[in-house]
Amino acid sequence: MNEAAKSGDPTVNLGAAFEASPNPYVLLTPDLRIAEVNQAYMDVTGAKRSEVLGQPLFAAFDSGPGSDAPENVRQVRASLEKARDTRQRDHLAVVRFSMPRAQPDGSEIFEERLWSATHTPILNADGEVVMLLQHTTDVTDLAPVIRPDEPTTALDAIVGGSVLRRAQSVQEDNRRLETERNRLVEMFMQAPGFVAILSGPDHRFQMHNDAYSQLIGHRDIAGKPVRQALPELEGQGFYEFLDSVFATGEPYEGRESAAQLQRKPDGLLETVYLNFIYQPIRDDAGAVVGIFVQGHDITENVLAAQRQKLMIDELNHRVKNTLATVQSIAIQTARSNTDPSSFAETFQSRIMALSHTHNLLTQSHWEGADLRAILEHETEAYGPTRISLNGPPVSLEPAVVLSLGMIFHELATNAAKYGALHTPDGRILIDWGLADQRDRKLKLSWREIGGPKVTVPDRRGFGSRLIERNIRHDLAGEIDLVYAPDGLIAELTVPLDRTAAQ
Amino acid sequence: MTQPLTGRRVLVVEDESLVAMLLETILEDMECVPIGPASNVDDGQRLARDTENLDAALLDVNVAGRQVFPVAEALKERGVPFVFSTGYGEGGLPDEWRGQPTIQKPFTEAAIRDALMKAMGVAEA
Repeated sequence: MNEAAKSGDPTVNLGAAFEASPNPYVLLTPDLRIAEVNQAYMDVTGAKRSEVLGQPLFAAFDSGPGSDAPENVRQVRASLEKARDTRQRDHLAVVRFSMPRAQPDGSEIFEERLWSATHTPILNADGEVVMLLQHTTDVTDLAPVIRPDEPTTALDAIVGGSVLRRAQSVQEDNRRLETERNRLVEMFMQAPGFVAILSGPDHRFQMHNDAYSQLIGHRDIAGKPVRQALPELEGQGFYEFLDSVFATGEPYEGRESAAQLQRKPDGLLETVYLNFIYQPIRDDAGAVVGIFVQGHDITENVLAAQRQKLMIDELNHRVKNTLATVQSIAIQTARSNTDPSSFAETFQSRIMALSHTHNLLTQSHWEGADLRAILEHETEAYGPTRISLNGPPVSLEPAVVLSLGMIFHELATNAAKYGALHTPDGRILIDWGLADQRDRKLKLSWREIGGPKVTVPDRRGFGSRLIERNIRHDLAGEIDLVYAPDGLIAELTVPLDRTAAQ
Repeated sequence: MTQPLTGRRVLVVEDESLVAMLLETILEDMECVPIGPASNVDDGQRLARDTENLDAALLDVNVAGRQVFPVAEALKERGVPFVFSTGYGEGGLPDEWRGQPTIQKPFTEAAIRDALMKAMGVAEA
C-alpha cells in the first residue's frame, strides 16, 4: 500500500483506480467536452491527455472514414445526451468506431473496432448533472463473424457471434421502441385537450402536455405534488376528487366544472370551465399508482351559452315592454278616438312612427341615432321645402331616440291636422343647439309659421299629454308649448348626460 | 259594480311614460289615486318614504337600467304592500322577492286589480 492509500483518502484511491483500470474511461462535462481521461483511454485512442482535455469529444475523436461513420457518431452522441437529459444511465450495446493506429513507417491507418459503451450521469446534491462518465469495452473479439479474417475457435464463433447478434438486435428493438415512444410523447404533447399524468398518493406531476401548461399559465409544476403545484385549487374540491380516485380506483368525470386558476403570477384568479376525467393508472398487480388527467377547456362555450341566455332574457324583456307600450297607445288612442276609422288611422300612424324609430336604431345596431335623422324621418312625408332643419350634429342614445321619435311624430301629426302643415303655405322652422359643455343639454325650438290662426285647444288630447309626459318623465327634460296666434311654438330642453345625473 | 279599491292611493314606479300613463288610466278606472309616477329608483324611494297615506305600489322591476328593490325595501319597512310588474315574469326575481304578487307586461286591468287586492289582502266585493 502506498502513502495515499494508508491515509484513507478515498479520492486518491478512486483516482488511482480510475487511472489503473484496463477499461477506457472518459469524463465529460454536460456540454460533452473532455474533462478527464484514464491511461487505458489514451492507450486505445493514441491521444495525449494535454491535447484532448477541454476539447469537445467529437472534435477530439471522429469515428474515422467509412459511410456509416456519421451514424455511429450520432448514436454515441444521442446516448450521451439521453443520459444527461434523463439523468439515467444509458447503454450502447455495440457501436462501430474506428481508431487511428500508427504504422511503423510513421503513417496512420484507421482500424475498425466494435465497442460497447455505458454512459453514466454524475449528479450533485441538487440532482443536477455535473459530469458524464463514458465507460467503453472493446468487444471486437466477440465478433468473429464481422471479422472473418482473424482465426477463431468454433466455440468463439458460436458464442461471440450469437451474443453479439442478439445484442445488436436488442439494441435495434430498443431504438425502434424509443422512436415509437417519442412519437407517442409528441402526440401527447400536442394533443388539443389537456393531459397530465400524476403519480403517487400526493399526485405528483409526472408529465403534462402543452395544453395543460396553457391552462395553468405555464407554471413549473414538473415533479411537484398537486397541492404544491396548484395551491389556489384549495377548497375547490379537485384535490379531494383526486384523493378519492386514488383511494377507490373509481374514475371521476367533471362536466362544466368551474375552476379558479391563477394563470398569471400576481394576477387575479380566473374562472375557467372544464370537462375532464380522472382515470386511475394501475400497476401489474392492479394497485392504483397514479392518475391520468384528460380534458378540455370549454370556457368559451359556457360563456357563449350564458351570453345567449342573457340576450334571450333581455329580448323577452324588451318585447314585453314594447307590447305594453303598444297596449298603452291602443287604449289611450281608443279613448280619444271614438270613431273606429279615425282610431284605426291614428293608431296605425303611431305604431308606424314607433316602427320607423326602431328601424333608425337598427341601422346603428342600437347604438343611437343623430337628431337630424330622426327629424327627417318624422317630417319627410311633408316635403323638404316645408321643413327647415337647422342645427349641429347631435348623437343621441337609443332611449332618447325612441322618446324624441314619438314626440316629433305627435308634433308633426298635430301640425298636419291643425297647424302649419294643414295649409299649402305653412312651414315649420326647427332650430337646435347644445348648451353647457359639461352637462350637455339639447335646446330645440319648433316654430310653425304660415298656418291657420291658432286657438288654444279647450281639451288636451292624448298627443299633447304624451309629448309632455315623455319629455318630463322619460327624458327628465322640459317643454313649453305656446299656442301663439301665428303658429304653435314648442321649446324643448333635454339633458343628454342623464345617466351621470341620476 | 262597486270598486273594491276606491280611494286607495297607489304609487307607480315605471320608467316608460306610455306604460306609466296606461297604469294611471287603469288605476283611475278602478277609482284609485295614482301617486307619481316615478321614472327612476331615487324618485321612487323618495315617494315611498315621504308620501302620506300610501296604500299600495306598482313597481316596474327594471327602472332606467336599475333594479327597483331599494324602493321595495322602503315600502316593506313602512308595511306598504306592493306588486312587481316585469317583462321577465316571476322567474326574473331574486329569491328574496319570490312569491311577491307580480304582474307581467303587457297587463290587463283584471290582472292589476287582482294583484293589488292580493297584496293588500282586500277581499273581492
